[in-house]
Amino acid sequence: MMNYHQARWICESCLEPLIFEMGNKGGSRGILLPRGVGAEINIPEKMLRKSLNIPELSQPEVVRHYTRLSQMNFCVDTGFYPLGSCTMKYNPKVNEELADLDEVANIHPDQDEGTVQGALEIMYRLERLLCEITGMSKMCLQPSAGAHGEFLGMLLVRAYFRARGETRKEVIIPDSAHGTNFASAGMAGFNVVVVPSNNRGRVDLEALRAAVSEKTAALMMTNPNTLGLFEDEILEISKMVHDAGGLLYYDGANLNGIIGKARPGDMGFDIVHLNLHKTFSTPHGGGGPGSGPVGVAEKLEEFLPVPVIEYDEEQGRFWLNYNRPHSIGKIKSFFGNFGVLVKAYAYILSMGADGLKEAAEAAVINANYLMHKLADGKSFKVNYDGPCKHEVVLSAEPLKRETGVTARDVVKRLLDFGLHPPTYYFPPIVPEALMIEPTETESKEELDRFIAAMKAVAQEARTDPGRVKAAPTATAIGRLDETRASREPILSWRMYQRLKPK
Amino acid sequence: MGASEYEVREGLFYSKEHEWLKVEKGQVRVGITDYAQDKLGDVVYVELPVVGRKVKQIGEPKNRDMELGAVESVKAVSTVYSPISGTVKEVNSTLQERPEIINTSPYDEGWICVVVPEDLDKEIKTLMDAKAYSEYLKNLG
Amino acid sequence: MVHPYIPNSRETRDQMLREMGLSDVEELFKDIPPELRIKRGLDLPPAMPELAVVNHVKSVLSKNLPFTKMPSFLGGGVWPHYVPAHVRQIVKRAEFLTSYTPYQPETSQGMLQALFEFQSLVAELVGLEVANASMYDWATSLGEAALMSARVTGRSKFILPKIISKDRLSVLENYAAGPSLELVEVDYDRETGQVDLDQLARKVDDNTAGVYIENPSYLGFLETQVDEIAELAHSKGALFVVGVNPISLGLLRAPGDYGADIVIGEGQPLGNPVSFGGPTLGIFACRGEQRLLRQLPGRLIGMTKTVDGKDRGFCMVLQTREQHIRREKATSNICSNEALCAVAAAVYLATLGPRGLRELAEVCAANASYLMKQLSQIEGIKVPLFKSPHFNEFTMQCTRGSISWLNAELLKRGFHGGKPLRREFPELGEAALLCTTELHTKENLDGFVEAVRKVMEG
Repeated sequence: MMNYHQARWICESCLEPLIFEMGNKGGSRGILLPRGVGAEINIPEKMLRKSLNIPELSQPEVVRHYTRLSQMNFCVDTGFYPLGSCTMKYNPKVNEELADLDEVANIHPDQDEGTVQGALEIMYRLERLLCEITGMSKMCLQPSAGAHGEFLGMLLVRAYFRARGETRKEVIIPDSAHGTNFASAGMAGFNVVVVPSNNRGRVDLEALRAAVSEKTAALMMTNPNTLGLFEDEILEISKMVHDAGGLLYYDGANLNGIIGKARPGDMGFDIVHLNLHKTFSTPHGGGGPGSGPVGVAEKLEEFLPVPVIEYDEEQGRFWLNYNRPHSIGKIKSFFGNFGVLVKAYAYILSMGADGLKEAAEAAVINANYLMHKLADGKSFKVNYDGPCKHEVVLSAEPLKRETGVTARDVVKRLLDFGLHPPTYYFPPIVPEALMIEPTETESKEELDRFIAAMKAVAQEARTDPGRVKAAPTATAIGRLDETRASREPILSWRMYQRLKPK
Repeated sequence: MGASEYEVREGLFYSKEHEWLKVEKGQVRVGITDYAQDKLGDVVYVELPVVGRKVKQIGEPKNRDMELGAVESVKAVSTVYSPISGTVKEVNSTLQERPEIINTSPYDEGWICVVVPEDLDKEIKTLMDAKAYSEYLKNLG
Repeated sequence: MVHPYIPNSRETRDQMLREMGLSDVEELFKDIPPELRIKRGLDLPPAMPELAVVNHVKSVLSKNLPFTKMPSFLGGGVWPHYVPAHVRQIVKRAEFLTSYTPYQPETSQGMLQALFEFQSLVAELVGLEVANASMYDWATSLGEAALMSARVTGRSKFILPKIISKDRLSVLENYAAGPSLELVEVDYDRETGQVDLDQLARKVDDNTAGVYIENPSYLGFLETQVDEIAELAHSKGALFVVGVNPISLGLLRAPGDYGADIVIGEGQPLGNPVSFGGPTLGIFACRGEQRLLRQLPGRLIGMTKTVDGKDRGFCMVLQTREQHIRREKATSNICSNEALCAVAAAVYLATLGPRGLRELAEVCAANASYLMKQLSQIEGIKVPLFKSPHFNEFTMQCTRGSISWLNAELLKRGFHGGKPLRREFPELGEAALLCTTELHTKENLDGFVEAVRKVMEG
């Protein structure tokens, strides 16, 4: 196995100090500013600030500090990152350069339309590409993330029924769904009805039939679902929901498993959100910014947020249409995370139709290969048969029963191999779940290394479980006391100063 | 840990959602069982009911009127349902400062609240006694 | 050939299939009903070489006219500032850029500490103890602040000023729709723009969850009756919510010091480009007390120790508030946030320090003050519309001709004019919102004044 250790910058008793603990008061600064015109400013004394307790540092100190911090952070550019449902694929570098261009970074959303034709054209073209990929009629690029897209989707559902004079209060969600689905439906004022999965890991049709009624506003689904399985009864499901007058919502977190092979629009979905920071390769930035475009079927177009980007063929120009009387209004200040949109646009052009299909195939082969090699039933097993799509959910229950070593222990030990572990304990319907999404980015060699690491950990669980439970030791820091962190939360330097023993 | 290793205290009554109930003079004391605290892990926060709140005994389907509060660990939240209908009379405010006593002393120090029951005689029949609850735990595996 | 972003060759792929006992990749897709399979492939262009993508995207983008090439006076929610080179470089480091949410703290200390520092710096800036690791933008922070106020107080009315960006208001309305919060506007004094205190006093009642103001206001002037507003809100048990442009806080009193319970705002000007309005950075901070903290939306990073007690470290905390655990009872549905923009903000604030931030705020305000004075001397131009102190934005009214005409003429003379306000505030007549920052040189300002003068003189 590879001999791995993450950078560990230590200063006296702790890791790299906090920025508040650095610097020499009363002198340094990191940048000189222009002086301006020097006109008098007229702000009443009572509105002026007396002091501001933030650090004073020179530029090299700032740069070194954050560079050191970065070295204590694992990323997909350095290694395998198979977090399930997160689609940690390669983030092409050319996309970054394009998004940094002056013509992207330095344009203002309120500029005259004539001076942002390029930006409007990119957004217009991206919408068309995403519509083709999903089979939807119209796209809105405003949402900042997947969950934001879900929330918009739920607002559209609400607006749709309101316009029809119906009050439908229930949103049906399978028990395997992402937590955001429940939260988004709840935030938009719907009551959540949970339907169980069947013994094939798919939505239980009988349970669904019992749950669907004239109160059903929508069914939210992820397909492939969070078990990595394609909901093969989707056409029956779609019919069932539509016959009852409800709408079908598609959570696009797992689109990478079927992109170029099948489209949610063809399956009967009325609303779709995508995660450009997953399927479309834009980097996740340690938590964001993402982008969560929402596509809709024709009957929902009129409710989409304003403005809608239109193209005037006669004049040959793009324009923003705010005159949409049935629109729900806005869900973000401006037009969306434009910088992210540029990256996704470049990605789709780079991949082309065949490249996207190839990505789905490679991702699915990789996931099935991991399942084939790892689900031996002795340490890890799969609870549901059949080929998976982009991800496989293993259960470490056999290992736990035999050795007491849990999925969490396995995950922590994997860190010592220079691998980012899979998502664990999700979906909740699989005990001791390890949710592994390798993506098309990984080579067979990398997968084999991961397989070997998983087997080594399983072996170690039998021979030296203490070592597994003591992991990780090759990371910047050992296992953290998360209980203490939540019992007595310290959330800022200011709070730390108040709470620390004098 | 096998089911038999969890403490099930004699003389208490139990719900299927792992709440215990102790009958006192004109009132009942409520908490969560040893099994429940173990499954949850280290408790980091307890959401207590408001004194004076009226609650309904747990039944199916569950609803908010049956909720007494919630017990949280780092990565889980468990709703505490009321094993009895009545009015909350007193809450264990020590839990706000020291939530960990639910882990260390679920049946004593870690009690959650006191309820004045509406119809104790009738409702208590729907709960399990210590023996039945032990059996119930065994069947959970 | 497979695509350059995909490592496994056809041969390797076939080998893997064989190991699984399969002969064709289609066998892995057989559970997709045949009628759903895309038959002829997606109707997209074929893969383009990297160079062709660059050329194409650049060619489309060349139709944009960035404010670096032509001075602009637009602000109104995102503000152009200089982004120091090292700030960009740090957030482009792959370790930050290409990592996921720090779910595994042991291997993600860098991102966790950087976000803890962001929370700490924002907390100092706004004068409160707690800030979360970011929301999407100011508008969604406002929506979440209204929801949080309602949860904390158990009430359903949220009061806000009439002077607010109407786009932001629209976002708020959408967030408030779920629990049917009642949004109540308070009018402003036509002379000064200040919130009408008498009206506010009449509207705040026992069902008021929160009272919201913006400072500086959307139209650039300072709300100076902050202590009175805080008192009015608190006297009825409502939360006091303040929205800010964080750059202004280099100079202005921190809202936490005048009684704010929640402070929100747009963090983009802290080291992030305007980028056509996104990515943005929603700031969300609150007092440190339990009843607020338990209801806070979004991700929180906390300080802790290793299990062995040896090292100090950081991890995500109070996750039981969040969607992946509490599902429909979560304090918000937010998952992905704007973490990298938050890192940029931390690097930016650490770079400026207290004095740098103060100087920056002063330059922005001084440029506005100068521009207001110069423009006010032009016949047919009224600047500003409100007799109140201003930060770096102000209103300008055109008394002969429309703003769209004026802006079109300015465009011809090489300037992006101010933001037209007709759609949002018809009562202000032909008015625009203008903004200055440290990007403006004296030549820019004088040139703009000269251009306005020429246009107005016709």
